[in-house]
Amino acid sequence: MPIGRILTLAVLATLYASGTLAAQARTGTVVGTVRDVTTSVGVGSASIAIEGTRRGTTTLADGSFVLAEVPVGTVRLVARAIGYAPETREVTVTAGQTTTVEFALERQAAVMDEIVVTGYGSQRRAEITGSVATVEGDDANVGVTQNADQMLQGRVAGVNVQQNTGDPGAGMQLRVRGGTSISGSDEPLYVIDGVAIWNQATEPGGIGVGGAASPARNPLSLINPKDIKSITVLKDAAAAAIYGARGANGVILIETKQGERDQMTFEYDGYVSFGNAASSLDVLTGDQYRAFIQAEVAAGNLPPERLANLGTANTNWEREVLRSTVSQNHNVAFSGGSASTTYRASLNYQNLEGAALSSGQERFQGRINARQSAWNDRLQLGLNLTAAHVRDDYVPFQNNGGFEGDLFQNMVVFNPTRPVTVMDTATGLERYFEIGTGRQSVRNPVALAEQLQDFGTTTRVLGNIRAQLDIVPGLQGQVIVGVDRSEGDRKIYYPAASPVGAEYNGLASRRAQTLTGVTFQGLMNWNQTFGGVHSLSGVGGYEFQDFAQEGSGAESRDFLTDAFGFDNLSAGANEQVPYSFSEKNRIISFFGRVVYGYNDRYFLTGVVRRDGSSRFGRDSKWGTFPAISASWRLSQEGFLENGPFSELRLRAGYGVQGTNAGDSYRSLVLLAPGADYAFGDQKVVGLSPSQNPNPNLKWEQTSTLNFGLDFGFSDQRIAGSIDYYRKNTTDLLLSVVVPQPAPVSERLENIGELRNSGIEAQLDALLVTRANFSWQAGVVFAANKNEIVDLGGRQFIATGFVNGQGQTGQTSQRILPGQPLGTYFGPEYVGTDATGRQLFNDYDADGNLLGETTSPAADDFRILGKADPSFTAGVRTNLVVGGFDAGLLLRWEQGGQVFNNTALVYSTKSNALQDKNFLASALDDPTGITQPAIYSSRWLESRSFLRLQNITVGYTFQLPEYLSGLGNSARVYVSADNLFLLSGYSGYDPEVLIGAQGIAARGVDYLNYPRQRVFTTGVRLSF
Amino acid sequence: MRALIPSLVHGARRAWFVAPVVVFLSLQACTDLGENPTSSITPDNFFKNEQEVRGGLAGVYAVLRNPWNWYNLNEISADEMIVPTRGQDWFDNGRWLEIHRQAWTPTSSSALDDINGMWSGAFSGVVRANVVLAAIENLSIADKAAVIAELRVLRAFYYYQLMDMFGGVPVVTDLTIEPREAAPRDSVFRFVEAELLAARQDLPAQWPAADHGRMTRGAANAILASIYLNAGVFTTSTPSATSYNSCAGVTVAYPGASDACAAAIDAADQALADYSLQPEGSWRRNFTADNASSPENILVAKQLNESGLGLDLIMRALHYNQFNPSPWNGFAALADAYRAFDADDERRDVFLEGQQYCVDPNGCGSVAFGGAVDDRSGAPLIFTVDIADETAATEGEGTRIMKYPPDPDHVAQDNGNDFVYFRAGEMVMVKAEAELASGNAATALTLVNQLRARVFQPDEPLASIDQDGMLRERLFEFAGEAKRRTDLIRHGKFTQAWAFKPASDARTVLMPIPQPQIDANPLLQQNPGY
Repeated sequence: MPIGRILTLAVLATLYASGTLAAQARTGTVVGTVRDVTTSVGVGSASIAIEGTRRGTTTLADGSFVLAEVPVGTVRLVARAIGYAPETREVTVTAGQTTTVEFALERQAAVMDEIVVTGYGSQRRAEITGSVATVEGDDANVGVTQNADQMLQGRVAGVNVQQNTGDPGAGMQLRVRGGTSISGSDEPLYVIDGVAIWNQATEPGGIGVGGAASPARNPLSLINPKDIKSITVLKDAAAAAIYGARGANGVILIETKQGERDQMTFEYDGYVSFGNAASSLDVLTGDQYRAFIQAEVAAGNLPPERLANLGTANTNWEREVLRSTVSQNHNVAFSGGSASTTYRASLNYQNLEGAALSSGQERFQGRINARQSAWNDRLQLGLNLTAAHVRDDYVPFQNNGGFEGDLFQNMVVFNPTRPVTVMDTATGLERYFEIGTGRQSVRNPVALAEQLQDFGTTTRVLGNIRAQLDIVPGLQGQVIVGVDRSEGDRKIYYPAASPVGAEYNGLASRRAQTLTGVTFQGLMNWNQTFGGVHSLSGVGGYEFQDFAQEGSGAESRDFLTDAFGFDNLSAGANEQVPYSFSEKNRIISFFGRVVYGYNDRYFLTGVVRRDGSSRFGRDSKWGTFPAISASWRLSQEGFLENGPFSELRLRAGYGVQGTNAGDSYRSLVLLAPGADYAFGDQKVVGLSPSQNPNPNLKWEQTSTLNFGLDFGFSDQRIAGSIDYYRKNTTDLLLSVVVPQPAPVSERLENIGELRNSGIEAQLDALLVTRANFSWQAGVVFAANKNEIVDLGGRQFIATGFVNGQGQTGQTSQRILPGQPLGTYFGPEYVGTDATGRQLFNDYDADGNLLGETTSPAADDFRILGKADPSFTAGVRTNLVVGGFDAGLLLRWEQGGQVFNNTALVYSTKSNALQDKNFLASALDDPTGITQPAIYSSRWLESRSFLRLQNITVGYTFQLPEYLSGLGNSARVYVSADNLFLLSGYSGYDPEVLIGAQGIAARGVDYLNYPRQRVFTTGVRLSF
Repeated sequence: MRALIPSLVHGARRAWFVAPVVVFLSLQACTDLGENPTSSITPDNFFKNEQEVRGGLAGVYAVLRNPWNWYNLNEISADEMIVPTRGQDWFDNGRWLEIHRQAWTPTSSSALDDINGMWSGAFSGVVRANVVLAAIENLSIADKAAVIAELRVLRAFYYYQLMDMFGGVPVVTDLTIEPREAAPRDSVFRFVEAELLAARQDLPAQWPAADHGRMTRGAANAILASIYLNAGVFTTSTPSATSYNSCAGVTVAYPGASDACAAAIDAADQALADYSLQPEGSWRRNFTADNASSPENILVAKQLNESGLGLDLIMRALHYNQFNPSPWNGFAALADAYRAFDADDERRDVFLEGQQYCVDPNGCGSVAFGGAVDDRSGAPLIFTVDIADETAATEGEGTRIMKYPPDPDHVAQDNGNDFVYFRAGEMVMVKAEAELASGNAATALTLVNQLRARVFQPDEPLASIDQDGMLRERLFEFAGEAKRRTDLIRHGKFTQAWAFKPASDARTVLMPIPQPQIDANPLLQQNPGY
């Protein structure tokens, strides 16, 4: 008999049997309360389950619960709550009677019984053999949490989260155990409620001024952090191999909150925050600048005409461009459920003001999660639906300002003796002051921010629907269908009245982009125990994901009036060539995971995934990614029974994963238009091969070896883990020079190797848990070492382009075998000579020091340092005294260097030759006024810092009776983000945007959007 | 797994609740991972008709259009131009002064940038020609013979540039990407010669107006004339760095020619049969925005005053305030080059010296066309002849060569002036120099004076001519036309000392092969001395 037929019969039999049972009415009711053993405060949202059944309920906010229709007889009830050890009580239920039971839960730092989402299913923490970390949504939601990834900041060892800039809604960079790639992506895979999303910019890029457009905002802004129940990070191959070709950079699993049975809740949560730029640059004041120019003219270094350019104003352009901000966030959520249906709905409004004029982000977001069960809970249907509408207001900035520069560059260089606005004698109206009329390369930064219009909007809907069926006890089938659709739009107008738009006599552009992702998953989960000591569970499945991206745009110039803005492109006399594009890709996967456990002591996990991606070359479409891991719970062994450990577990795992092959169509020869030429006087659209073919193009392959130790003392009040890993990435995707002639000089190949190895540790402790007083603390620590092993025959790759005038083609870093990514490479600065020339060490071709030189040549370029920190650490602590609570989060990074590109360009006096302002530090600098800015070791500064990321004080109280309509409990809090930064760095912030220009460049700081220091006051009501 | 699932379904066919599993299986069939790009085209589905071939042809020509590296390396490395560091501006990793000092090495900044760009740029022209040649092999189109000849001449010209810069390079006519040994420079020369000789008879003397700018018979002859004049250099990987490398006595395949000099004279004559000199007083018409109609221009890179399709040489030299958009204030002429000119020579007018004016016919911001402009500090902008310190020059130091005057209808920095690679004037000079090398100084003098006559009023003919005089005359005629480096090498003077450049090693007559290219193709041998 085929297996299928047996299963069918078994399912039908079970359905019949359960129907009969339900008809019997011999039940009673259990009521009770779940309290914290130390504070005696009721524990809300605790689950109460009847052991051995699916029956159960959850407690209300005050800890009380009612469990009806409990079968008569002796039953064992288990109470579980996040952060507490589970407790079991035996009660005897009599028909038609109510029995009372009280639970007193004890806190634990790490609860081995907790259920953790692990990708295509969930597992008991004790069973997990890989390296997995979780963050509870409510614990991490402190202060101003704009986006989901911020919740991991400083809370998970080995996960480095950094907001790119201080731009509101700025993109985040998240690195799990260092980057595995050089030219590919180092971003982890994001999975929201079981469905992997396409995490890329949802809005089309802008135009920018003097360089690239402003960096993209965070595509994850569609998720409201307050909706997040938990975030799980799969760090090693054993854990993440189930995501195969996309798991090499780790996997972030986000689960959203669901409603709960028999429990209606309403929550309001809102805050208002006040911020300002956390640091400032010291540029010359108007008076200092005037004095400097006058002195230089007197000394004959500048022509006397320069005095005419000195105005009478004393403008601090930084103060004019930056502002104090007010931001707000409001969340309303309600949830509830009956025996068969649960739901949770939430609405969020967020308005963030940027520290720079005319920049901000506004977000409207809503979510509905619903669950429906049928057939006596055998069939579970679920819906997760979220929609977000985001409006972005951009200002022109980027970290590679080009020759003319962006907002912040002009803020530094604009003549401080000039006013922001002047009375125009011709019109009698107030207008922005500009140097000259029409197009100008140095622009009034306030006008730049206010006049240039650059808006983006994104509407994104992410939804999935699922059905889960218990086929037979221990075997479940599940189907998920998900859609992720975003529509992004960009509207830009550079008015003719601005010195930027004057070049085009007005420039308007509209751009649109859509992203569509469709997912289908079919899963089988099984779970069985036999012989009392053996447990076997697993998941097998199939997944299909199809992504499409489309875009188009148009641009017009030369407008009669600025009145049309971007709303009437046809009013422009000069229409530019429009563009459109389309790109598709697809991933198809088969995967399985089997976990075997013996006696709750030994666990063995095997994972295999077979991934096919359209992006791979014709001859390497499919790849197989296996992993194996094991754990041993020493604390379950007899010989440790009386030892100090409440938990002691060893883990070891090895596996292979991939990183997807970059963009679509990279393996094909493509003919692209653009090589245009004129025959006669007519343009002929020329086509030429735009890339070289590579039918063998495939994923980057990372093999990871991980050893871990989990430990807990004194009944898990102190718990922690230590992991050591070694990740070897081979087949790196590198664009390498190919033998000429070739259609283009380089080709994307799988070549080269790099290695990351490191140690990470995490420790959580409940230091005090007394009545009305508890104190807990946690520490995370990670040290990662990165090394290029091989570049496939290339000696080096120059990267980390230097920004600024006279720096074209200059690079600050080299990717060198034997060195980490982000290795600074340049001449060694020794000082200046009597005439103000910079001196550098002069070496011969063999590396012998010859002396000093003013013009360093190839031989004088040496390794100067590295960008990455030696280690990172996070410390957090939380104190509760009665109704008061206080918490703080500190982040510490030690080692590594920042290249202060801002100082290189603006701490030299030669700016004054061009009537540009500069940093005050240049006044005392011995470098002569006619000297160019030369990149060298002089401009490298220590990256080490200690940041007080957040400090929060709150008070929770019961509302008086007459106010109970507003809720029965309330928490008010004040919070400060980025309150202080301990660092020797002279620029804005040593934690710099990592997306510097060039391959895998890091650590280059060039006039980034400054981060804010934010003070927040908020309230939370619930009933 | 694959085996398990079908059996599950088979057994459960009657069970309606297994529908999800069926859906799952139907989707399992979706294992198509092929890629069908729609925003781009692949060669398999292209080059099917004349229109498409024309698009491919335009792509091969497009390499001509941006002479950035060719111009920079030929002008700045010579005794004609320099890019001084001006305060904050133009340091650029020391790259510009490195080119001027000829201090390049296989891994230095100019080698990784300009020299590498030269190498891969010219080779991309070669491979684009090879792609179209392969594609049309079995295609029937009108003018097929002419199109093939055109592609061969284009490819030969890209090889001419490679041979001139690097000496021996791999000679490739197929499409395989693989490491290859370099052919010796002499073999590259023979290849270029044979291709041009074979192709020139299939090319028209003139294309119809709608195809102006495509390769003509005259263009093939002009390239031939030039390779023959330089045959003393191009037929050896070790030309003399200190004495004249003559075309005399170099054996060539040119029909009826006794040596390369004779071949140069005949090829130049044939080119001159199809093209003619601008008359007296209109020499500058070869370079103005309407120079497409000049009968003198033989081989040009067509430019249009459209975004991304025009000539932007003006941007490199002019001051920020002289043009709109704001130029870059970089490339300057050396004082000795400027001073070598006779003050009466019309050709000296291409230099900008003294008080400067707005040269943009549409005005420069607040200054109208022809109005005096100031420098960025507000002082009158004056271009001085001398540069005091090349590492710390002021905004106004150095005269500027503006050979191509601004296009009145320029669109931003795109001017419609065609960039001239070869013109009839050069054919006259090729003949003159080949005659001189062959011992016919009197004929050479007549030819040189023919060119001088149209730019001096009244005439100032030379009384005699020698090799040094010939090199000097070439400076006057071709300043700013990217000829100087080749000329100095042929005359054995490239390694001499001049302003801001010490005497250099003999190796510099060949550029180093950029290290990334040797890394990619280990069969390449670095040029001697590097």
